[in-house]
Amino acid sequence: MKSVSLQHFNLTPGKGSNGISTGKSPLVMIISFSMALSFISVKTLHAQVPLGLPELKESKENPSTPGKIELGKMLFFDKRLSTDNTISCASCHDPAKGYSNGEQFATGVDNQKGGRNSPTVINSAFHNFQFWDGRAATLEEQALGPIQNPIEMNMKMDLALERINGIPEYRKRFEEEFGEPASDETLAKALAAFERTLLSGDAPYDRFEAGDKTALSEAAQRGKDLFFGKANCSACHSGGNFTDNSFHNIGIGMDQEKPDEGRFAISKLGGDTGAFKTPTLREIARTAPYMHDGSLKTLKEVVEHYNKGGIANEYLDEEIFEMNLTEQEMNDLVTFLKEGLSSESYPLVEAPELPE
Amino acid sequence: MTELKTITLAAAALFGLTLLMPSQSVEAADAKEKSMKSRVVADQLDNPSGVAVRPKTGHVFFASRDGVHRLVPGKTGKVYPEITSYPTDVYGKGPKYNIGPLGVGFLGNDHLVVGDGSRPDGEELVRVYKISADPATQPVGEDSAEFTLGPIEQGEDSAKGEGNFYGVAVNKAGIFITANGDDTKGWILKAEVKNGKPQELKAAIATKVATGVDAPVAITNGENGEIVVGQMGEMNVPGDSLLTVYNAKSGELLSSYETGLSDIAGLAFSPKTGKLYAADFSWAKPEDGGLFELITDGKEVTVKKVMSLDKPTALAFDKRGRLYITVFGSAEEGSEENAGQLLIVPAGL
Repeated sequence: MKSVSLQHFNLTPGKGSNGISTGKSPLVMIISFSMALSFISVKTLHAQVPLGLPELKESKENPSTPGKIELGKMLFFDKRLSTDNTISCASCHDPAKGYSNGEQFATGVDNQKGGRNSPTVINSAFHNFQFWDGRAATLEEQALGPIQNPIEMNMKMDLALERINGIPEYRKRFEEEFGEPASDETLAKALAAFERTLLSGDAPYDRFEAGDKTALSEAAQRGKDLFFGKANCSACHSGGNFTDNSFHNIGIGMDQEKPDEGRFAISKLGGDTGAFKTPTLREIARTAPYMHDGSLKTLKEVVEHYNKGGIANEYLDEEIFEMNLTEQEMNDLVTFLKEGLSSESYPLVEAPELPE
Repeated sequence: MTELKTITLAAAALFGLTLLMPSQSVEAADAKEKSMKSRVVADQLDNPSGVAVRPKTGHVFFASRDGVHRLVPGKTGKVYPEITSYPTDVYGKGPKYNIGPLGVGFLGNDHLVVGDGSRPDGEELVRVYKISADPATQPVGEDSAEFTLGPIEQGEDSAKGEGNFYGVAVNKAGIFITANGDDTKGWILKAEVKNGKPQELKAAIATKVATGVDAPVAITNGENGEIVVGQMGEMNVPGDSLLTVYNAKSGELLSSYETGLSDIAGLAFSPKTGKLYAADFSWAKPEDGGLFELITDGKEVTVKKVMSLDKPTALAFDKRGRLYITVFGSAEEGSEENAGQLLIVPAGL
């Protein structure tokens, strides 16, 4: 790693504020705290990104602070933001399931299901667009959408804010961080500040590229070469976060009677019909099932989809074509995705103790 | 020396040519530039995409879907077809455009280099034609080139084969062609020139690997042998276009600027002022497209809009400082007329 990443301070199992474990020895706590100080300035907090990720630009409108991040973490796990107190952000973006949720379509209040798979929150700090169709430009814009979505958390914002501000600890924390009780804006900012800490890098692939030639198995190395070569994956899954931050029609769902029009609904560009955001591939082994509609259960199925040239349709991206990969090559690709892009420093955040 | 070149050299000296990823700002046109007007010198063109001015005569050569044409500047301003019979391919992902030859540039005074967009990726060619002093009485076929370079077929350099040979720049290091058929590498192709004869076309600079952004398109020469490249980025993503500078000999990336423009398709330095201008096609939001001045200062780039244009594709100054611009334009609904134009902006930029 370039340096110790921010999430290490928030990931420590336990219930203490600032994420510092209460179960560790005082010495460990002192070391942890002094390490934390080396990365946290007085007023703002700059995440040190793990090896292999691009520079993380600070949000000018929402600079991070430890208190804001901690507040956002609590809110992320708090089911009281849903109308019947059953669904939190973490219900659909479960840390134990790659910040997706393992289902084809996540279940919202009253057991309702949507039509799109829960995208991972991992490395969403780097995305220029949020949601599969990119309808939000920032995490702040994104944060309130699911809370108000009738089939997700189905909450009126005024009721959500009434609940949050009715909890003394939350009210106190909002006033400390923002100088005012919770509002639409500050609720979104707190959630976004926490989500920006959910970074994954320093994977075997990154270490291999940094010079550790033992970091990848031979099969994963072959898969890596295919990924950046014959298999054409890097045409879209490019850069440190393995996404071009763009939208592509890869044919998924286009054979349905009424295909999801995807990005077209937002951009109105014909070429965006059936196009969805290129997801990061970091921690992809944790986030099954795959694709915007969760229709592919395994990474092998994903590779097979691309190998056959996707599903033909008028708007199929020109980077999707029949590749004639052998069975061995497909297996090597899957090995690279699983082994190469899974980090030992995965940010497995545990639910904090929530204020009553 | 232009400001761009100044910072490039400074970066080389101080930081060992470290990559610069600066911020950018966009300013509105100032009063002088607001008064700059373009004039149409050729219209009803079929998706014109490349323009070059012959050094000695000032004749203007431009490429469009149906071939390469010559404009003889003057009172009559007549356009002559020079090279025809290119096949037609399709570019874009909705909207889509029919295209033929894409980019043009001069090798010396008598040879025109033409980048091909008329064939599938992996089959496209770079043609080098001997150009007569006066307009041809009959246009020649596209296969009548004196030299044919390429293709870059499917293989080790390119999983699918390279294509869409858009921009052309020629300098002492050779002929440089931008290509954006292969989105894994984003190659700039290079052919050295020995004794006036172009050598093998090779994949030279993997711009996507260097910058993380797709599609090199615009290209022009810096004063000190470097090449200046516009990285178009994703067509359906506004604001992701880069201005980059490479060492022409080594291919090393010297600097990279996030311009905030959407799809830089043309770049040219004014021979009178040294200022750098960019044409932004702006696929996703054509209303934002136009001609822009790019001013670099350290790690920063300032982008000033000079004028709005309807899908501009290429720029070329003549020796007098007049700027020629090709634009796709927009046909009126129901019209079958070609909407492309060749524009001229009077000297003063």
